[in-house]
Amino acid sequence: MSDFSIFEYGLGILQALLIIVLSPLIVGIMRKIKAKSQKRIGAGICQPYYDIIKLLRKDEIVSDQSSWIFRVTPWINFVTTASAAFFIPVFLIYSPFGVVGDVLLVVGLFALGKFFMMLAGLDVASSFGGLGSIREMMMSVLVEPALFMTIFVIALFYDGTNISTIVSSANDTSILIVPGILFALIAFFIIMMAETGKLPFDNPSTHLELTMIHESVVLEYSGKNLALMEWSHAIKQMILFALFVDIFFPWNFVEQISLVGISIGILVFITKVSVLASFTAFIETLVAKWRLFRVSDLIAMAISSSMIGVIFFFL
Amino acid sequence: MSDLILPTQIDLLHVSAVILLIATFGIVVRRGFSDWLHAYRYQTIILAGVVTLIAFVTSIWELYIVSALTLGIKAIIIPKVLFYVTKKLDSPIKLEMNPYVSLRISVIASALLVAMSYFMALQLPISSDKTISVFLPVSFSLFFIGLFIIISRRKALNQIVGLLTIENGLFLFAVVVTHGFSLIIEIGLMADILVGVIISSILLFRMSHTFDSVDIKNLESLRDD
Repeated sequence: MSDFSIFEYGLGILQALLIIVLSPLIVGIMRKIKAKSQKRIGAGICQPYYDIIKLLRKDEIVSDQSSWIFRVTPWINFVTTASAAFFIPVFLIYSPFGVVGDVLLVVGLFALGKFFMMLAGLDVASSFGGLGSIREMMMSVLVEPALFMTIFVIALFYDGTNISTIVSSANDTSILIVPGILFALIAFFIIMMAETGKLPFDNPSTHLELTMIHESVVLEYSGKNLALMEWSHAIKQMILFALFVDIFFPWNFVEQISLVGISIGILVFITKVSVLASFTAFIETLVAKWRLFRVSDLIAMAISSSMIGVIFFFL
Repeated sequence: MSDLILPTQIDLLHVSAVILLIATFGIVVRRGFSDWLHAYRYQTIILAGVVTLIAFVTSIWELYIVSALTLGIKAIIIPKVLFYVTKKLDSPIKLEMNPYVSLRISVIASALLVAMSYFMALQLPISSDKTISVFLPVSFSLFFIGLFIIISRRKALNQIVGLLTIENGLFLFAVVVTHGFSLIIEIGLMADILVGVIISSILLFRMSHTFDSVDIKNLESLRDD
């Protein structure tokens, strides 16, 4: 599967663009579901797009104490997440760019973006940014081993870390999933909540800077830079959702490429991701934010769950 | 009999074993009095489902009755009794405040215990039958996790839940290995458990009456008067 035609590369670019363009929509859907389940009306599901457009038109203020890191971070963040989007299959069973890198590369790109984000939080020397960076560092130190354990479980069961291989062998299994994968599912769900800053780990919607992690890092940004940061966060969330859906709930992929097949594939994909997003939003309304030092309990759950997954493989 | 098991049925058995293990972890990670009981109830409901599945796979009709008994006594009556006890208990704190082993370490330790029981089950020479090889390690791990809960927690109610988890493991072991005792013995066992829970809840009442808490540390200090 090394040589693809130009047409297939076009389809691959279409897949990546779908993820990038649709990601604010998923954020909007999640906010709507959260508002509905808290008996509020909530903004429309297109509100994140309006936010981004509004922010792009605004002036930005950059502290004169800040260095180049502060100015370059939103671009690095956006470029890393957007290039990670090229490896994710959406409606085709493979991604033509999958020969370049595997799921570890996606994780590495996320880590690069996160690294620069933490540096930018420390750069302007505001106390909230520094606090947020430190917490972000603690969280990522805890999450990373759990994430790698989960990836190893998935790679063991679906032979290989290449995303296209994983998804095609996940697609070949029967409706009843492999028992060890169930453990990987739980672990991956916990990690997904941690990485995207969902409620037991991080509360992005408060205005109490002491309780938030991700938002206090980007507190100093305004205007276009803030728009880029928000958008790349949305893309990251979309990529993780898409990976979850691709690995654990496949069976929507197009066999022969036609216009009808592709549009059906896209529709099924959007439906599955929005169902997953609604489910996460629903979970978020059920739990309160945990104390920062209890968060590691959840990560320990993820780690032990993927450990049992490994045991199931070697049975 | 074991030759007639279809591959999809084996898959079903595997998945049900995994769900039972996950439900067991629910008991380990919880902190509140009522949370343990809820987790125990879920675990027992899943256990009853597993027994029904075994009955379906091996087509032994007595196991259906055993599963119904499990559901009735262990998932409905025993949690009711223990909920009543927790409501009546005048202990001010209804959380496990500082267990001997912290929660996140106990989660990882339980995962290691599961690993250990799988390796132990591999050493045993009786894995000819498919249901045995699927559920024997699960019953071992239920047993070990129950023991671990008993030794790592302070509150007496949690010790009862640990004991009941051990009992669930033994029950699963018995059902899997022997395909069910005769029905009379099974009913007798259930009655035994019920009496045991009632006696231990009476002890709980006495403990909270004498010491104003259900911390088992109080039981260690001996007085002579």
